[in-house]
This record gives sequence, C-alpha cells and structure tokens, in this order.
Amino acid sequence: MVRNGGIAMVVAGMLALTACSGTAEAPPTTADETTAPETAEIHLWVAGGDTPQALRDYLIETFAAENPGSTLVIEEQAWGDLVTKLTTALPDAANTPDVVEIGNTQSPTFTTVGAFRDLTPLYSELGSDDLLQSFVEVGMADGKNYALPYYFGSRYMFYRKDIRTAAGLTPPTTLAEFSDAVKQLRTDSQSGFALGGQDWRNGISWVFANGGELAVQDGTEWTSTLSDPKTIVGLEQWQDLYRGASNVPSTERDVAYWDFLNDGTDGSAAPAATIMAPGWARWSIGDLTTNDAGEQVRDGMADTNKFGIFGLPGVDGGLAPVFAGGSNTAISATSQHPELAENLLRIIFSEEYQTLLAQNGLGPANGQYVSALGDDEFAKTMIDTAAASKLTPAAPGWAAVEAAFVYEELFQKIAEGNDVTALAEEYDAIITPMLNG
Amino acid sequence: MSSTATRRPPPTATRASTQVREQPAVRARRPTPYLLLLPAVAILLLGLGYPVYWQIVTSLQEYGLAQQFGQPPTFVGLENYARIFTADSLWTVVVRSIVFCLVNAFVTVALGLGFALLMRAVGRTVRITIQVSLLLAWAMPMVAAVTVWKWLFGWRTGVINWLLVRLGFDGFAGHNWLAQPLSFFFVATVIIVWMSVPFVALSVFAGLTQVPDEVLEAARLDGANGRQMLRHILLPMVRPVLSIVLLLQIIWDLRVFAQIRLLQDSGAPVSETNLLGNFIFELGIGRQDFAGAAAVSIFVLLLTIALSWPYVRSLMKEQA
Amino acid sequence: MTAVTSAPVPVAGAARPTRRRAPTAAGVRRRAVRFALGVVGISAAAVWAFPVYWMVMSAFTPAARLRSATPSSLPTSPTMHSFTAVIGGSSSPAALRMSLAVTLVTVLAVLAFAFLAALAVSRYRFSGRRSFILAVLFIQMLPAEGLFIAQYKMLSSVGLLNSVIGVSVLYTATIVPFTVWMLRGFVAGVPVELEEAAMVDGLSRSKAFLRITLPLLAPGLVASGVYAFLQAWNEFTVALVTLPAESAQTLSLWLRSFLAASANRGVDWSQVMAASALLAVPVIVFFLIVQNRMASGLVSGAVKG
Repeated sequence: MVRNGGIAMVVAGMLALTACSGTAEAPPTTADETTAPETAEIHLWVAGGDTPQALRDYLIETFAAENPGSTLVIEEQAWGDLVTKLTTALPDAANTPDVVEIGNTQSPTFTTVGAFRDLTPLYSELGSDDLLQSFVEVGMADGKNYALPYYFGSRYMFYRKDIRTAAGLTPPTTLAEFSDAVKQLRTDSQSGFALGGQDWRNGISWVFANGGELAVQDGTEWTSTLSDPKTIVGLEQWQDLYRGASNVPSTERDVAYWDFLNDGTDGSAAPAATIMAPGWARWSIGDLTTNDAGEQVRDGMADTNKFGIFGLPGVDGGLAPVFAGGSNTAISATSQHPELAENLLRIIFSEEYQTLLAQNGLGPANGQYVSALGDDEFAKTMIDTAAASKLTPAAPGWAAVEAAFVYEELFQKIAEGNDVTALAEEYDAIITPMLNG
Repeated sequence: MSSTATRRPPPTATRASTQVREQPAVRARRPTPYLLLLPAVAILLLGLGYPVYWQIVTSLQEYGLAQQFGQPPTFVGLENYARIFTADSLWTVVVRSIVFCLVNAFVTVALGLGFALLMRAVGRTVRITIQVSLLLAWAMPMVAAVTVWKWLFGWRTGVINWLLVRLGFDGFAGHNWLAQPLSFFFVATVIIVWMSVPFVALSVFAGLTQVPDEVLEAARLDGANGRQMLRHILLPMVRPVLSIVLLLQIIWDLRVFAQIRLLQDSGAPVSETNLLGNFIFELGIGRQDFAGAAAVSIFVLLLTIALSWPYVRSLMKEQA
Repeated sequence: MTAVTSAPVPVAGAARPTRRRAPTAAGVRRRAVRFALGVVGISAAAVWAFPVYWMVMSAFTPAARLRSATPSSLPTSPTMHSFTAVIGGSSSPAALRMSLAVTLVTVLAVLAFAFLAALAVSRYRFSGRRSFILAVLFIQMLPAEGLFIAQYKMLSSVGLLNSVIGVSVLYTATIVPFTVWMLRGFVAGVPVELEEAAMVDGLSRSKAFLRITLPLLAPGLVASGVYAFLQAWNEFTVALVTLPAESAQTLSLWLRSFLAASANRGVDWSQVMAASALLAVPVIVFFLIVQNRMASGLVSGAVKG
C-alpha cells in the first residue's frame, strides 16, 4: 500500500543517513608523498581581521610561486565563533581547513585532543628557540609541538601626560609608585586608572609581578594556585588599586578603555587619566580629526604633550610581566595535503613574512625580527613588554574556564572588597576540576 | 485590519464559534491523508531525525572534544544526567529560567492585549502608526536590538540614566543596570518583552476584529458600557488566541539564550544570570561537554512539556 | 475601528449611536476618550519604535562620536560612511544572494509541506493523527543549541555543506512544526461544506478547492510565509556551522563579522548599526506589503488552533 511504502522509504533514507554519518570519507590522494608534489588547493583560516590584506596577498602569491599548480585560499573566521567552527570542521577530512590560526589561550584545548598535526620535525627549521617560548609551550602536548606562535601583541599603559604633569607626576618606575600616583590622580569624575572590576586580563599582571602563578602542572594534573601566597599578594594589591584609583564599575571587563582617555565630544574632561590596553588601542585614542576619506577619527595620540605610554613597572623596577595577547598556528591532523600545509608554514616563518608582520604592528613569532616593529616609542614599549610577558596556564580546560567567565566573577568579587584569601580558596575549588578537561 | 466580511463564510455559527469544529470524516476517494502527510514527515525526519537521535544517544554516552576528534564514545547510561542533576548550578538555573519565562510570558501577553485593545479603540491613522512601529520592532535584527538597548541602559552614556537624572533621581547617575542579577533581569525582561509584544499584539488584535459585530451591537443596546463589553464579551472571545500566544511565549521564553548572552557580555555576573539556554550553550560550545549539553537539552524538552501540560491535555481532549 | 460601523443591524426603533446628531454629552466624552487614547497610542508607538530610531541614527553617526557622555537625539555630524563601508565590502552581494536563496527555498518548502500536512490533519481522521499533532507540538520544545554537531555531521556526510539545499533542509525541518500548527487552524476554519456545495454545482473537487478554499486560506498562507521568512532570514547558529566557507555566508553571518574586534581595531559600532539597518530593510518591506493580509491571517490560525 502506498502508505506503508512511503514510510518505508523515509525510514530507509534515514537509516542510510545515520550509516553514512559515522565515517568521513577521505578523498583519494593521487599524490605520492615521496616523488612528485601534489597540486591542490589548500585553505588557511585566519581569525578576525588581525592579518592585514597585504600580508594575505603576500602569502597567496608566494605560495603559488613556490608550489606551482597549487593555490592558497584564505578564509577569515570571527574570533567569537572560531572554536565552534573548528570543533565541527577539524575532524572532518573532507572539509577541514589545512592551516589554522588559533588564539594562544585556545590552543591547549585542541592540542590535547589530537586535533593538530605533529610539528616537532619542523620545529628547528621554523625557528627553534628563536620563537616566542611562552607561545611554544602553550602549543605543546605530551612533549610534542602541535601549535607554533603566529604573532604576539602586548599591553601597556596609555596615559594623559597633561593631567599627570599638572599633578607634578612623572611616569612611575616601580609598581608601588604607579599605584600611589594613580590613586592621587583620582577624582570623582576622573579615574586615576580606569580598571574594570571584572578585568582579569589586565589584573593578572599584578599576580605575575609578584611572582605568583594562576595554575601549575604536576605531571599531567593541573591545579589552580590562587591560594598561593604570592598570588594573594598580587590580588590584594590589585584590589587596593581598583578601589583606590578606578571609578569604573565592578562589572566592566577589558573593553573599550580607550574611550576613557579621550576628552568628551562636548568638551568635558576625560573620564580617566590612565588605562591599560593592547597596543592597537592607540588608533582609538587622540583628538578628533578628519582623515583622507573624510571620516571623523581619532588621531592616534598625535599630540605628545597630551598623550603618552609606558610599560607597567615591576615591583622592584624594570617591567612587570603582563598578559600577552596573540595567536598560534597549526596544521589540521585530518588535512589531506600536509606537505603543502607545511610549505605554507615555511613561508609564514620566513624572514620576509615575519618582517612584514612586524612592520604592520604585529609582533613576529621569531624574536630575531622584532626590530622590524620599528623604533618609535610604541614599538620599543611593545617589544620590551612582550619580552616580559606571560600567558595563561596551558591547561586543556583553560578555554572552558574562560568560556564560563569564572575569572570575571572572581575579580568582580575581589573588586567589591571581599576577603581575597577566602575567595581564592573558593575559586581554586571551582577551577581545578575544570582545568583538567 | 481588513474587514472580515469579505473573507469569512456567512454562517454566523462558524463566526461565533471559536472552537475547532469537528470536521466530518472524509472518506478518501483521492489522496489519502498519509500521502499528504508524507512531505512534512519526510522533511522532519531528514532535517531533525538524525540530530534528535544523535542528541538522545549522546546524552547516554561519554562525549567530549576527544570523542569529536576520533576517540570512540563509551556508553555510560544515565551518568550524564546524574552528573548534571547533582550539580547545584542546574537547579538554580532551572528555577531562574522558569520564573523569568513566566514573568516574561505573562507581561508580554498583557501588554500585547493592551496594545490590541488600544489599536481597536483609536482611529485609523493612530492604529496604523502603532502597527508600523510594532512591525519595525519585530523586524529589527536581534543583535542590533540588544546592542541599542544596552546603550540605552549603559551606565556611562545611557539615555535612561540621563533621563532619570534629569527627572530628579540623582542616584541613577552612572548606575550600572547589569551589575546585580535582579536589575539585570529587569533589563532582560524589557528587551524580550519589547521584542515579543508585536507578535502578540498583532495576533490578538486580529482576533478582536473577528468578534462578530452583531454581538457587540446587541450588548450596547442592552446598555453595556465599554468596560463591561470588554470583560464579558471581548476577553472571553479572544481567550483561545490568548492561550495560544501565551503557550508559544512560554515555550520561546524558556529557551531564550542569545539576548541574555549579549547582555552578559557587558559584564554581568555570568553564573548568577545564566538561564537554561545559556547553560546548554556553555556546556556544549564553551566546555565541549557535548554529552552534558545533550542531557540538559532533553531535560528542557521534558520541562517544557510539563509546564505546558494543562494546555497539552486540553488539546488532546479536543482532538480525541 | 471600522468593524463596528460596518455592521448593518436591523433593529427597529432602537437608538443607534450616531455622530450625525448634535453633540451629546456622551458623544463628546467618547470623542475625548478617543482622543486621549490616540495620544496614548502615539506615545506608545513612539516609545516602542525608539530603539529602531536609535539604530538608524547611530548608523549615520561616525563611530568615533558614538557613545558620548551626553546623548543627543539627532545624529551629530551625520555621515553615510558606515553604509558605504558596509555595502562596499566584497562579501555583501554574495551574502545577499545566499540569504535570498536560502530564505526563498525555505519559505516555499515550508509552506508546501506544512500546508499539505495541515490539510491531512484537519480534513481527515486517521490513526496516528493525534500522535502527529502532539509530535509537532513537542518538536518545537526541543532546544536547538545542542544539535549543531549532529547537523554538521549529517550534512558533511552527504556533501551538502556550504550549499543552499543543505541549510534549507535544516531550516525547513525546524520551521515546519510551527507552520503546521498555524495552518491547521486556518484549514479547520474553512468548512468542507463549501467545497461540497461547489461540487454539487458541478465543479470537480480540485477546482472547488482551488476556487473556493484556497482564496480563503490565502491570509493564513501569507502569515505563515512571513513568519518562516523571519526565521530563515535571521537565523545564524546553524548557518555558522554548516556554511563554513566564506563564499557561502548568509547575511546574518555577514552581520556578525562586524561584531568582532580584532588586533587592529575595536568594533566599529556605527558599521554594526548600518549593517543591521540594511538587514532589516527587506524584512520590513516584506511586512508592509503583506501586513494587511497577515494580521487577519495570524489570528484565524491562532484562534482555530
């Protein structure tokens, strides 16, 4: 009967689908790995708009020149969705990107589950110990390299020189000087130092400056070490600083601080005298001006009497370790063209490309080329602070901790004045199980 | 809206009745009902069959990122459910979600009804203005809507704080609406109600226009005033519409996720403001605990059925 | 409301409320109330549309000037720059085509399948009818957030990633339940006697259906179509995962790309608002064209459901 036949057809179709879904068919590779290089199209996923178009063009042209017959396709993925898309695409041999850019804090999530190809054989060729070691470590799992540094950024302090000079202050040389100065600068309408209560990315600099750690690895187990005495010292310093110098609510994260340094468009005073931000914040700070395209933009701190920068000083002088932003790069384990992918990596880690990165304000993975960042104040500060920088723990579950906004909550409670030691203990208990995935 | 007389069939019995009329059983001379049903069933099985099946199976397995990348999932029975249910976090989220959903659903329907009655009582130009304004609100992309509302409630540059200060409530200068869960949910309710009212208002309004004029005239002749007509004629006649939109709002508001997430991005305490949709998202996409997310999803399905049970039961009786 | 005045009530001798006579106290009061309600209505409409206005205004404001300490009700130094930047991007025409294709296919498929199913469920009695109705109701209650992995695997295994068909199948499956629900009521609202009367007059069944029943169902179909359009047009989670290639993005993904800050700039909110305003335009146009039919359609379905 028609009725039964129809249903049978549907069920059969469904069964067929469930049968296919389990296995991803690998397209047959016609290349013989040891003789003629295959020609193919490979895909690179870049995250966000970090890599400028000029650099992307360079990669495409150079790849085509060095691998005749093959092409490189670059696709941009939004940062917020990157992990989701990688989760579905990386295991799928037919659709996986061959080379990916991935945030340094996200790398451990994938390196520990075998999502990437082992790059250890390439390590010495691509730069070996010249590569930014903290990024290299975060890309390792079981002693092998799975993800290597792509570029780094850095954070430093931007400040209103005119306000500071008017108060008789000069850029601080120790952390304590810094705290005292910004507390002094605080008024009801202006933060001495605009710091959000949930801003842990800037806040952990105080932990690092005091020699504390967020989590340590013992064998294969990670433990959250917020209760470590040095960490607590750092957190308490931060608490004191927030409550004494910042008017920013306890719920703010590290977002859009640069607005605060600018004078209001109606002529009112700037809401903050100092902020801490990644280097590229510069382009959102300054006075209003009109650029060539006729748009109204900020002039990038052109008035050096009004705006300036300095690196966060350490406890005893020098520079404090700050949280380093940046990305790693890796090859998908299911990539059908690993040789071509490795060729692409060779281009990325070549002197030309690393220099290009630096010339565009992105810290190159290979320390030999940092001088190409320039020698103006911004470049120097960036290089110095990046050299002193630290990363978040390379635990497999770290990305999950970030995704659940645990640190945001912790810092907010610290900012609101609660007992740091008690909070540290409470949150160690929450975080440790999450760290191990 | 358009006059009903040109569209509906004349028999007043049908117009007055708002229950589903039992259709006489039609003996199939031509297509059997199963053939008619086939495309819908097929597409449901194709599009949702495997995912739902996968969801159920995964909730009974150990399935995290490792399994996604090739490690075979092991069957663990109800362990995922046990794990999820014994963590305190789920139950606070459940309670929060139910309260939030009920508050939103009822406020939305009440406001929608208010708008509908208003539209009925005013002249044509005003009515069209209201309709267009509601349509604009409905059509606005959600991301833009939430962002604009966030700006309006912003602690530093928000219009709402600025207005309140102007009106004399100086305490609201720099007030951060998203800092505490209660005010956070107030803002969330404003946004979600704002986005949901147009659908309800337009549906209920169209329902009101279908109330037969004879009944209204007769009542007016009997001396009924506006309020009595409202209470004894209009409201009972749109009760079916109201109950349907209420049900839909409950279903949708229980699963709300994106708006809460966008608000949380502005710095609200996340674990204290998560609703069920966020909880699932965090488990699945945030922590790659796919099995846990699957288990919670199935739980939410059962919860929704439970919440709407009165309606489901009356529906089943009706269809018997 | 016109409904009241259009009803011819043959009531002998009773006084009819009329405005033709000299203004009575009751008449004046009624007009005053109506006026007051009109004011309330306009205010409510203004309040409700305010965020939309804010969005459009922000789209015309340069990003550097957004979020100043004193909010202004008119754009300061208005510029078209955000709109040109947003439209000028290389991905927008492709995204537009993709969104249009997917939405169109989805809406047509949803209407066709759900309509047939609604016919079956409303006009016939058969075993499994109640189960189907319940199933349709329950499917709507399942959260969609956890399904994306399975949906990806499914499409990937048959090679339908980055395709209009793949995404449309998924969308159609998720929208059909609600549409069946809505259309069920509409179909039930048109008595089968009408067709039978026409058949007695000599028309064949299908002609009767086409000439009599279908026109009466038009508002319902339009209403369902609009709802399906909205769902498909704005959806993004499924699109995100099943359309990984940049060339296959839909407009909602395109909008999302403006929300990401990157190493070299913060989010340009002016562009976000411009992109959102543009995304809303087709929907609004669609609405305004069909809103008359739709509203009357919405309720019949709801009432009968």
